[in-house]
Amino acid sequence: MKVNQFKRKLFMGIVVSAALAMTSFTAQAQYENPGDGVYKDRIDWGVMMDMSGPTSASQGIWVNGFQDYMRKINDAGGVGGRKINVLAEDSRFNAAQDKISYEKLTMQTPVMGISGFGTSGSQVALAPVVKSGKVPVIGTYTTTKAFSEPVSPLVYGGFCGYPQMAKTGIGYFVDKLKLKAPKVMVVSIESAGGVEYAEYIAEVVKKYGGTSKAVTMKVTAADVTPQVLEIIKEKPDFITIYGVSNTSILTMRTMHQYGLKIPAFGISYLGAPQIFSAIGDAAGENYVFMSCFTPGGADQSPGNKDLTAIADKFGRAGMKEDINYVAGWVTGQMVAEQIAKLGGEPTRAKLVDMMSKGFSVDTKGLAAPMVYTKDDHTGPSVLRAVGYDYKTKKFVSYGEYTDYLKYLK
Amino acid sequence: MLGQVLFSGLALGSIYGLVALGFVVIFKATEVFNFAQGMLVVCGAFFAYTGIMLLGLPFPMTIVFIVLAAAILGAFIHAFLIQPLAGRSMLSIIMVTIALSIVIRAVLEITYGPQGKTLQTPLPTGIFLVGDLRISQLHLTAALVSWSCMAMFGAFFKFTSVGLLMRATADSHEAAVVSGININVMNRLAWAIGSVLAAVGGLFLGQLQLASTELESIGLLALPAVVIGGMQSIPGAIIGGLLVGLIEQLSATYISPKSSDIFIYVLLMLILMVRPWGLFGQQELGRV
Repeated sequence: MKVNQFKRKLFMGIVVSAALAMTSFTAQAQYENPGDGVYKDRIDWGVMMDMSGPTSASQGIWVNGFQDYMRKINDAGGVGGRKINVLAEDSRFNAAQDKISYEKLTMQTPVMGISGFGTSGSQVALAPVVKSGKVPVIGTYTTTKAFSEPVSPLVYGGFCGYPQMAKTGIGYFVDKLKLKAPKVMVVSIESAGGVEYAEYIAEVVKKYGGTSKAVTMKVTAADVTPQVLEIIKEKPDFITIYGVSNTSILTMRTMHQYGLKIPAFGISYLGAPQIFSAIGDAAGENYVFMSCFTPGGADQSPGNKDLTAIADKFGRAGMKEDINYVAGWVTGQMVAEQIAKLGGEPTRAKLVDMMSKGFSVDTKGLAAPMVYTKDDHTGPSVLRAVGYDYKTKKFVSYGEYTDYLKYLK
Repeated sequence: MLGQVLFSGLALGSIYGLVALGFVVIFKATEVFNFAQGMLVVCGAFFAYTGIMLLGLPFPMTIVFIVLAAAILGAFIHAFLIQPLAGRSMLSIIMVTIALSIVIRAVLEITYGPQGKTLQTPLPTGIFLVGDLRISQLHLTAALVSWSCMAMFGAFFKFTSVGLLMRATADSHEAAVVSGININVMNRLAWAIGSVLAAVGGLFLGQLQLASTELESIGLLALPAVVIGGMQSIPGAIIGGLLVGLIEQLSATYISPKSSDIFIYVLLMLILMVRPWGLFGQQELGRV
């Protein structure tokens, strides 16, 4: 009799527990918050990048990397049963267009968060609006001062920063060329980011007791003879290049035509295979770029293998070596991981609160560890020099990320 | 330094003149202000990429491929977009050419991707020295080829029967019709020639940089060249191109790169206000 009573109680207990679990699961699966971009079966996430215009060659690839990571996640079932639905807006290298896109993503079709913000002018123009709003920007393209200072719980960098590029590049060449008072020239396009980059370079060079000078060129220049003549006049120890693909190609080619073998380093997103290919091996041996990401296929780290496999599977084999693709991929990873931590009832406010306490992203070798603290939202901050082996047609990293930590102090 | 800047200005200006010439040929024949001329330059660069890198053609065959593809494209545009609009307002036709440039850009980016493409041609990339002057072989080649194309088409228009028919059609459509000339064929030929000239410009601009849709903005520098030189003047288009190239390089060297836009477009505005038929165009007189 007592055994029967026990069995009955046990059975009732199991039934009640199962019912409670089902209720909870159903409630979670049915949780929706369209105002935050959260639906039963998906979470909307915004991307704002230049998918047309002079910077689309870099930023379009970044978007592909981001979308491919999300596709990988979605193909495996999504995050907490919800697919991440990427709403990509084309900024068209136009801050005014970005304002329209931002309003669309925050008011008309609200998203949980936004990644990208590729145009430096847009970051400068929209920083006050973003920082006083509610939608976090997670994984920016190169972050301008306006976005990064002061630190905001709504903004998290997702690309190598200009200050870090400047410090690493200058430090690397000062050591490599054994310079005491380096003379540096900056070749940049005329943009907000270009001005800022030149300022960072000047600051770093001054610390080494050297001097720097900037020359600018149009984004759509067909010839840079005037700029190279200025370089010939100034005789710098090395130069640094900021801009779009053409900026590097024209500068290096024209310098080569003038018989100049001045070493040069480009910013991170001038690390595309077609840039080295267009520059040619004779001029390309003097060109490296500073990068916080490892080109796809450049090594056998777990992160790199995963990226390479997926890129090949999705027909993006030609893009995987592009640092912009890797950057978009890593940003996708960062976003997906943070959303996953929110559980079954994700909200924007929870996301912002959680991230503001600090977190890290382990890219398994695709980048140096990315650590975000309460006071530092820079993101990938350790860079290294990357060149190109024209014989094997592969990227070559010079040293490990840890070798370059000294330049960031 | 001045010599160097003048050389690069004239070399670039030759390419602009070539593209501007194509523009004038189209305008003289069909009175269409072709805002898609910049994208036809881009098409030339991508035809070169297709021929060399995708089809693996030898370079001479690639040139033939570029010429044929551009000619067919130009004829297609006239037959299916411009000819059906005959008699419509100028605004409609201009909007069509603007829409066409946007469509071509999107098609190219979808087909080839957003990344620029490297052109691996046997065009020379070295330099040779003349005193202190460093002559870029690629720039010199571009200038010589541009001038050859201009001379060739000049000879075509002046000395061939087809060229004569095209000139007659451009001078007066009504008289041409009465004379039994098929003006649609002549206009189509004009569009084909205009596209070929733009495409040759695109080959060199693509080799100077990358084959990318951003070449459009460089190709569109042919528009101020045409307005400054004279929209109905073939020599004017060439001189206008050279002037634009020189102004661009001189202002970039001695003032700033951005200032070149000011000088080029202020000159364009002045010409339109003071001498709207251009430096070498002819003033049209209307009799009541």
